[in-house]
Amino acid sequence: MSLRGAAAAAALVLAAAAVRAQTPPPATTPAPADDIQVVIKGGGERRLAVAVPALYAPGAAALQTKVVDPFTATLRSDLAYAGAFSVTEPEHYPTGFRDPTTPEAADRWLGTGAEVLVDTRADVTGDRVSVEARVWDLKSRKLILGRKYSGGATYVDRIAHTLANDLVKYFTGKPGLFLSTILCVVEQPGGGKEIAAMDFDGRNLRQLTSHKSIAISPSAGGGRIAYTSYVRLFPQIWTMAPDGADKREVQTGVELNASPSLSADGSQIAFAGSAHGNTDIYTIAAGGGTAHRLTTSRALEASPAWSPTGRQILYTSDLTGTPQIYVMDAEGTGSRRLTLAGNWNDEGAWSPDGSKIAFACRNEGDFNICVMDLVSGQTIQVTSDGSNGHPSWSADGQKITYSSRRNGSTQVYTVDANGQNKRQLTDGANHLQPFWVP
Amino acid sequence: MTRRLTTLTIAALMVLTGLAFSGACAKKTPTTAQEARPPVTAAKPVETPVPPPPKPAPPTDVEAVDITVMDIETLNKKGYLNDAFFDFDQADLREDARSVLAADAQWLKKHPSVQVLIEGHCDERGTAAYNLALGDRRANAAKEYLVSLGIDASRLRTVSYGKERPFCTESTESCWQKNRRAHLVITAK
Repeated sequence: MSLRGAAAAAALVLAAAAVRAQTPPPATTPAPADDIQVVIKGGGERRLAVAVPALYAPGAAALQTKVVDPFTATLRSDLAYAGAFSVTEPEHYPTGFRDPTTPEAADRWLGTGAEVLVDTRADVTGDRVSVEARVWDLKSRKLILGRKYSGGATYVDRIAHTLANDLVKYFTGKPGLFLSTILCVVEQPGGGKEIAAMDFDGRNLRQLTSHKSIAISPSAGGGRIAYTSYVRLFPQIWTMAPDGADKREVQTGVELNASPSLSADGSQIAFAGSAHGNTDIYTIAAGGGTAHRLTTSRALEASPAWSPTGRQILYTSDLTGTPQIYVMDAEGTGSRRLTLAGNWNDEGAWSPDGSKIAFACRNEGDFNICVMDLVSGQTIQVTSDGSNGHPSWSADGQKITYSSRRNGSTQVYTVDANGQNKRQLTDGANHLQPFWVP
Repeated sequence: MTRRLTTLTIAALMVLTGLAFSGACAKKTPTTAQEARPPVTAAKPVETPVPPPPKPAPPTDVEAVDITVMDIETLNKKGYLNDAFFDFDQADLREDARSVLAADAQWLKKHPSVQVLIEGHCDERGTAAYNLALGDRRANAAKEYLVSLGIDASRLRTVSYGKERPFCTESTESCWQKNRRAHLVITAK
């Protein structure tokens, strides 16, 4: 890329940062790279060092395990996970100093390596907890944020998640992920598959379908979930509410009905449909109607994914002999190939600002997750262990959830979009096809 | 001594019988593999005519069975219809798959009331979405071949399971081969 191009790209990033709330510009025609750079450790973005002393809850010692410990652990874990923060070592925290209003107190906190102190105090009345959070800039000794939260004592982790979301929003301007949901497919004893939802960290898994059949490929948008179910023997598209209620069949008039993708506003479903053994990309109104065929080749087309604006669709085609990712307008025109490297690229997913795609990529050996920058055309590989697939972005565009098969077990993981900070969210039965609900 | 010999003979007979039985069960094992090789002679080389490979027996000897006395589950267990197997990432019918489907077509002609569901299956390699499309191709390839052999298309339905319902769950080639198939299921008689 020329210097001018780099400057233009930098200006785009700055402009995007300045007007976050506005609709992002549509992705320009990329110049796909024909080689993949392997990035495992990623490039060191600066993290804000925060001290997070334990929740101060005067009174009953019984509060320690029920309120103090879960709250503190959740808040520290969330901030460490966020990518924008590093939590300083709690063992070094001074005792007896909370408000850093004096230079001596502030110095003691600065000595732990922290730039910011997140001081939290609880007031417990019966089964209700009220948490006051004060966030201090340690160098200026100024209170920069003060918030108060209240809720039931049995879910103090949700209060911690809410505070963590507010801290991320305050310091990065982006939405926090700590109350978000990831959908996935859980393999049942006997081989059946059901759709489930879990918290962003893998906790609180709850089953959303009980078709006692094969339910796969969950996708969400506009407050609905779409998926494919074999409950009527032949695969059909279904939609349901985020809690699994209000299940409805979407009659498409074609076969296969695989990998449905809900548009961001929930109005349209793109899917892989089949007539006479030829799979193409179709769209249909989420409430039902006539399916429109968008691709017409004799090649195999699959894995559609709506762009965030709903104007374009990513999909996979084996037109050239190997599965590769393409993009076309929502009307099926203007198709062009995006992936040039590797002999199998599939399961494309658009980043929330439309500037990148994540996809399952393979050249030789196992599948990995690749991220292509649609502006620069550069592709990086963000996984290296196991056989990986089905990437899906978090709403802030910072993280990707994906499935990874290792030692015969497939589980859901997350990774930062630069390859750092991998976490395994699930274990036990196979957990497949994660989808991060926007 | 005599008694002992008899015991040994019986034991040997049992082993042989066992072999015969296992040979009968694995009906696809080529019997030519067990033929003795001609003795190697040191004489001057004589050109030995090599016979062409045996063609698969023309499936003309299919006999009609009385399907009215069996329920559908039993019909499927009896194995009157056999599955077509595929190469990795392929939906083209191999020669062995064509022979099997030709025999299936003969049987279906003898039993014109039978309806069949053709399931397309794939091995675990590759993405789930692509494999669903590939399974669809396999099921339809089998269906089209049966139709070309004279089976009415209205008797055949297809469904793809991709890699969602494997017959075998190990990560070995022999297991993968079992999963790459068009599986024929009788749904009505």
